[in-house]
Amino acid sequence: MSWDTALPLLIVVSSLIPGLIIFFLAEKQVAARITLNMLGVLVKLALAGVMLWGVFHGHHYEVRLPLLPGLDLVLRADRLSMLFVTLSTGLWFVTTVYAIGYLEDSPHRSRFFGFFSLCVTATVGLALAGNLLTFLLFYELLTLVTYPLIVHRGTEAARLAGRNYLIYTVGGGALLLLATVWLYTLTGTLEFTARGFLSGLDAVHHPALVVIFVLLIAGLGVKAALIPFHGWLPQAMVAPAPVSALLHAVAVVKAGAFGIVRVIYDVYGVEFAASLGVTLPLAILASVTIIYGSLRALFQDDLKRRLAFSTISQVSYIVLGVAVAGPMATIGGLVHLVHQGVQKITLFFCAGNLAETLGIHKISEMNGVGRRMPWTMAAFTVGAFGMIGAPPLAGFISKWYLGLGALDADQSWVLIILVGSSLLNAAYLLPILYTAWFKAPPASWPAERFFGRYETAWALLAPPVVTALLTLVLGLLAFAPFSPLEWARLITSREFTP
Amino acid sequence: MGKINYEPRIHAVNDILSAFLLISVPGLPLLLAFPALHRRLPWPGLIALLPATILLFISADIFIELPWMLLGGGLGIDSVSRWWLAMAVVTWAAVAAFLHVPGGRGACNRLATLFLLTMAGQMGAILATDMVSFFTFMTLMGYAFIGLLVADGDERVRRAGRVYLVLLIFADIALLEALLVAAASTNDLGFAVAAGAMTLSPFSVLYLSMAIAGFALKTGVWPLHVWLPLAYGSARPPVALLLWGVPVATGLFGAVRWLPLGEITAPIPGMLLQAVGAVGILYATLFGLMRAQWIQLPAYVAIIATGMFAMGLGAGLRDPSVWNQYGDSAPVFVVLVGLGLAIMVVGLAWLEASGRIPSGFRKTAGAALWLERWVAAVVRWGCWLGISILPGLRALWLVKWGRLWKTSVWQRAFNAGEHFLQRWVFAITLFLLLGMTFVVLLLLDAMSFL
Repeated sequence: MSWDTALPLLIVVSSLIPGLIIFFLAEKQVAARITLNMLGVLVKLALAGVMLWGVFHGHHYEVRLPLLPGLDLVLRADRLSMLFVTLSTGLWFVTTVYAIGYLEDSPHRSRFFGFFSLCVTATVGLALAGNLLTFLLFYELLTLVTYPLIVHRGTEAARLAGRNYLIYTVGGGALLLLATVWLYTLTGTLEFTARGFLSGLDAVHHPALVVIFVLLIAGLGVKAALIPFHGWLPQAMVAPAPVSALLHAVAVVKAGAFGIVRVIYDVYGVEFAASLGVTLPLAILASVTIIYGSLRALFQDDLKRRLAFSTISQVSYIVLGVAVAGPMATIGGLVHLVHQGVQKITLFFCAGNLAETLGIHKISEMNGVGRRMPWTMAAFTVGAFGMIGAPPLAGFISKWYLGLGALDADQSWVLIILVGSSLLNAAYLLPILYTAWFKAPPASWPAERFFGRYETAWALLAPPVVTALLTLVLGLLAFAPFSPLEWARLITSREFTP
Repeated sequence: MGKINYEPRIHAVNDILSAFLLISVPGLPLLLAFPALHRRLPWPGLIALLPATILLFISADIFIELPWMLLGGGLGIDSVSRWWLAMAVVTWAAVAAFLHVPGGRGACNRLATLFLLTMAGQMGAILATDMVSFFTFMTLMGYAFIGLLVADGDERVRRAGRVYLVLLIFADIALLEALLVAAASTNDLGFAVAAGAMTLSPFSVLYLSMAIAGFALKTGVWPLHVWLPLAYGSARPPVALLLWGVPVATGLFGAVRWLPLGEITAPIPGMLLQAVGAVGILYATLFGLMRAQWIQLPAYVAIIATGMFAMGLGAGLRDPSVWNQYGDSAPVFVVLVGLGLAIMVVGLAWLEASGRIPSGFRKTAGAALWLERWVAAVVRWGCWLGISILPGLRALWLVKWGRLWKTSVWQRAFNAGEHFLQRWVFAITLFLLLGMTFVVLLLLDAMSFL
């Protein structure tokens, strides 16, 4: 086995092995667990860096393992997969640091970190999937390993949220399986191919391809939280903050959105999908989700719940970008995959800090919290302005390309959606900032804890500050080499260059 | 021995110094905005102004490109921006001298941070040589200024801030639209090219409409002036000094930069601007100067001045030759109005402090805006006529929509919908999808027999 075939396997296994070992550690073996966690994280980061460099310079990393007659388990690194691999690996690093601090005194940490590692294994696996079958396997694995994380606290609300999550995602997986089998019977292949592998199919199969597309989008839309499949996400916010970060920014919803991108570009091909007339309804569905999620976020007093509805809205930007079917909008959608992740993880880390340090869960409890926790709220402010799309933050770059893409593709109605959504984003995020910075703080906080020199534990404070800085850097230096924007432009050039 | 040619080296050093100076003008206040830095300095506001002051004394026009910044941008100074920069430096220096900022490591220095962030935003906007950089710095300036306005203020000033915030969001959205339209028409968003390129664009009307709307919202041109009387009536005198010099003057500067003045003949937008300006002047004179309280007088003077400026811009859009002939006087006008308003604000503060005019803003915290009053009047009129299709509607809801949303049936309806979705719709959707699949399979089967 050469290095080029071993690397995709190694990058998946780098979190799998530590994860499996962690399951067998006793609760008291804190140092061993942290060491294994960080070792896995650092090895995976290093391997992802090597792979990114190699893919940029045209290296071909692929491994094929026979699975079924005529069907292999394929792990392959291409430009699109590297966008997701880098995002999930990078954010897993900060989330692991955060989770170590967050769960310092909690029970069942070995179980938690074991599944935590398996979760990123599944995410990287589906990012590197070279065909629909491999994607499906890791997609289902992701469902199974995130369930124990959602129900980790063991409360009635957590169990209910977990049950709902399982019903939704297993159902979605079933649709995906159905579509995959049907597609295989029609074409005899499931390999992801640049510009798709379906355009050569006889026109008699086109109605079936439309139905398969609907099934695929429904199956993937569950994790991407497209309406009406979004119900599980606001409920799942009962999970611990690192899990929320994982669900909203690193793994689950991103897996759904990433899958939709794969289906449109590497299964159907964007031009063929547009010719079937399936991209416009998808763009409309994404637009409805964007507005609906924002409207629902407006109503919520629970901070994490508001952020959850915000995710429903924001993730659909990615779907909208690819469904508009033009190079600029695609860049906007793809770059938002990363930018939304970085911004949303910042907001969830901050929400976790408020809950852990002061016992604050509701926005109405946040009066003057900026004075008590200035670093946390400064990070939150950066993340919130990024979400609104204020320059020079990362969110501005996404919205810029989405807007330009809409004009470029002669779909000006998308601009109205972007304007409406930006207004709503401001309407549900700015009041939080106003409350935190300009209202007078109460005499005492709901459940205040002190952590010495800093406003909270350093392991809780550093991750949001780092991701907030990243939000700024990704916007300000958007054209830097290896930036998500440059990478998205590389991906798009493959799809749209004649 | 041959004579050494030092000229290239001098040019290189000159370029480096120019770049350093231009970046420091917004960069130093931005850096000092970090509490850890400005808490250790005696006069951070004045120190932050040093690069801008030095730049004013360099008579040459200098520019640098910053291709690494955001979508690619630049900073520079020319004869137009020099006027605005001079006014900004004087205004900020005056305010830095008078605004009390708590000192020491333990002090709460929100005010200093917001002060320096606003300054950085304005300095950057004045020096920006392209639309995106201008928009970026102006966004920073706008939101930081709201913080500066409402920090440590009472309910009246917070209300002014909230109203301005809503207008600012709409302004930014309009300007972003204008930016996108410009970017779809030309690859170069530099002021030297973009405005001219928009004259040839099929989107020129949309661009003009969005840019005019955006800057009208930013500057408080009638009828979008509602925040100005509120802000002048409630802000502390040092912050009131900034109201013209920062948000309004920078907005007017933006209008000069963004609109293709002297290059395009746009009679309808021009006429509209002139009409709005004229009505604004009339309104501020009749309803403002006659009825306003002493403390609000500068606001109405500002509305008259922005009305006059809007009329000038309108004349420039109607006839490019007018702008080419008189456009150079625009910065002088803004600076003179700024000077006059500063004297007025300081004078009123002194008169108020010495008890020669009534102290403070008399209206209560919930003083209704004209929009609220008009809607309330329409509702009352409707009720009087017996039209009660909107029972219980209160005009204040228009502004306090957040409360409306929180308490209305909409929230309950959405919640019920969510609940229903969670329980049933997934199953129904699954069933429908499977049904669809089955029907299509039957159809395909039937087609194969044909």
